[in-house]
Amino acid sequence: MDVSSALEAHKKKFKTTEVEKVIPLDIDLGLLTASDINVLDDSLLKSKDTAALNKYLRRITRDGAQLLINSIFSRPTRTTEDSVIAELPKPFLKLPREKHVPKPKPLTRWEKFAQTKGIQSTKRSQKVFDEATGEYLPRWGYRGVNDAEKQWLVEVKDGADPFQDQFQKLRDEKKERVNKNQRRHQRNLEESAAEQRSISNPRSMQKKDLQRTLVLSKSSTASMGRFDRQLVGEPKVKGVKRKFKSNDVDAGEEKDTSLKLLKKVVDAPKGKIDVHKAIRKLKK
Amino acid sequence: MLRVVKPKNSRSKRFLDNREAKAVENVKTALVLRGSNTSEIVKEALADLYALKKPDAVSFSKKNEIHPFDDQAPLEALLRKNDTSLFLLGTHSKKRPHNLVFGRAFDHQILDMIEVGIEYAIPGYVFADAKCAVGARPLFLFQGEAFDQREEYRAFKNLLIDFFHGEFTDGIDLHGIQHMISVTAGPLPADESESGVIYFRVLSIELKKSGTKNPRVETTEMGPALDFRIRRTKLADMNTWRQATRVPREMHARNVKNINRDGMGDTYGRIHLGEQKLDEIQTRKMKALKLTRQEKKSQQNDAEGDDGSMNVE
Repeated sequence: MDVSSALEAHKKKFKTTEVEKVIPLDIDLGLLTASDINVLDDSLLKSKDTAALNKYLRRITRDGAQLLINSIFSRPTRTTEDSVIAELPKPFLKLPREKHVPKPKPLTRWEKFAQTKGIQSTKRSQKVFDEATGEYLPRWGYRGVNDAEKQWLVEVKDGADPFQDQFQKLRDEKKERVNKNQRRHQRNLEESAAEQRSISNPRSMQKKDLQRTLVLSKSSTASMGRFDRQLVGEPKVKGVKRKFKSNDVDAGEEKDTSLKLLKKVVDAPKGKIDVHKAIRKLKK
Repeated sequence: MLRVVKPKNSRSKRFLDNREAKAVENVKTALVLRGSNTSEIVKEALADLYALKKPDAVSFSKKNEIHPFDDQAPLEALLRKNDTSLFLLGTHSKKRPHNLVFGRAFDHQILDMIEVGIEYAIPGYVFADAKCAVGARPLFLFQGEAFDQREEYRAFKNLLIDFFHGEFTDGIDLHGIQHMISVTAGPLPADESESGVIYFRVLSIELKKSGTKNPRVETTEMGPALDFRIRRTKLADMNTWRQATRVPREMHARNVKNINRDGMGDTYGRIHLGEQKLDEIQTRKMKALKLTRQEKKSQQNDAEGDDGSMNVE
């Protein structure tokens, strides 16, 4: 049975989806982009007749859209609950990133040391068996087994002061350990920050900051630090000393300064004059 | 001490982490802002382009003393503060009337920017009937040889795609295709330093039955319709561009060993199943093969005897 005539008749009911172009479009499906380098009708594009121009643009743009849609519809598809999704390849065009490629996190002092010594961390279970209660309890932290407070009896070691509160001693030791760890943590943070800003010696930065804090704290007394004891090696504070010129100068000098200023203004590159600063200078 | 910003709670930590450099980045956000003076045409163009870029855009409604071609610092500060890497600045002056600056930043430093003058504009509200959903991915069509011939045209094409492409996905919903951005380059003037007109049009797309697999496409303009002419440009320098287009190691396609694919998309490989234990295999259940209650009990007792534990009753 010949169905070609029936097919032809069916096809004629609809508008065509085919578009002819001399040079095929360059299609980057990852970005849903088509580039058409076919020659355009310059006479229409140059004409002053915006209606004709817009009509022409609409026509060629529809053709481009049809070609792009055709290539999207020829992609393999997958169906989800309520949609058909055409799979797209990776984009071909290179687009710049927003931010740099992430750098690896700087190692802490311990991690550096462990690396050189070849120490590998072993995974410890988070909970340990507590024989007293027969339960698994956290190794540390809330309800942890290493809590000094929890012990009901603490041995007084040989040679220790019998009158010392052993519980208090344990508490103090723990506090000291926590503080020390916090200092180490802070140091690691500072060193990694220095590394990221490519400062070779973080200690120099620390010193500067310490001196600044010292100066600030010394001037924070009621007398602005006037009666404070001087420290050894105290940094000198560089303040702003105000200088006033005398009001009665001879005419020649005044003329010279004004001319100098004027020259500066006239010769300066455009946009480099700070008006407020200039007024300030003139007032002096 | 070096100042180390440390978030005080997990919400702010999440916020700061989100601003860090990432291997797989989120969609670039655009900052849409006005210069010291703007015309009505520029204002409408900004509003329309902002609507096209939504939801990944921040729009400022006040004036800003910003001249990115003279001093980049104030704009870079704004980009950093809002964590945006694209910008669209609208200005209007006697020297450069109806001016738009498209640009983008890499690491909060301006990478490239292109200034265009608007020569003809029809705002979006004129085309009232056709609109697309917020956040839909647009199609792009670039027409004209100029996009292959001139450096600033090529940069403008790259910038426009980067500006409006939306979220990258590995597939697109065939019924979710709603609009297209069409950019057509008019004839180029003989003078190399001058730019021709660039026709920026946005069309909504309708897919109709065609009797074949591919649908028939019908387009209606949805606006804005803008004619640009490129003015000043600041293109990316080679080094920064190379830095900015680096692909992180995580994104490289890994070669998977011993698995092949053919042209039809079928996968071939050798699968190792291990030894088959025929005596333990679950076969068809039959009453005759079932253990009686006594057999079960004796088996259980054997097992308990084996592991050396004692039965206490």
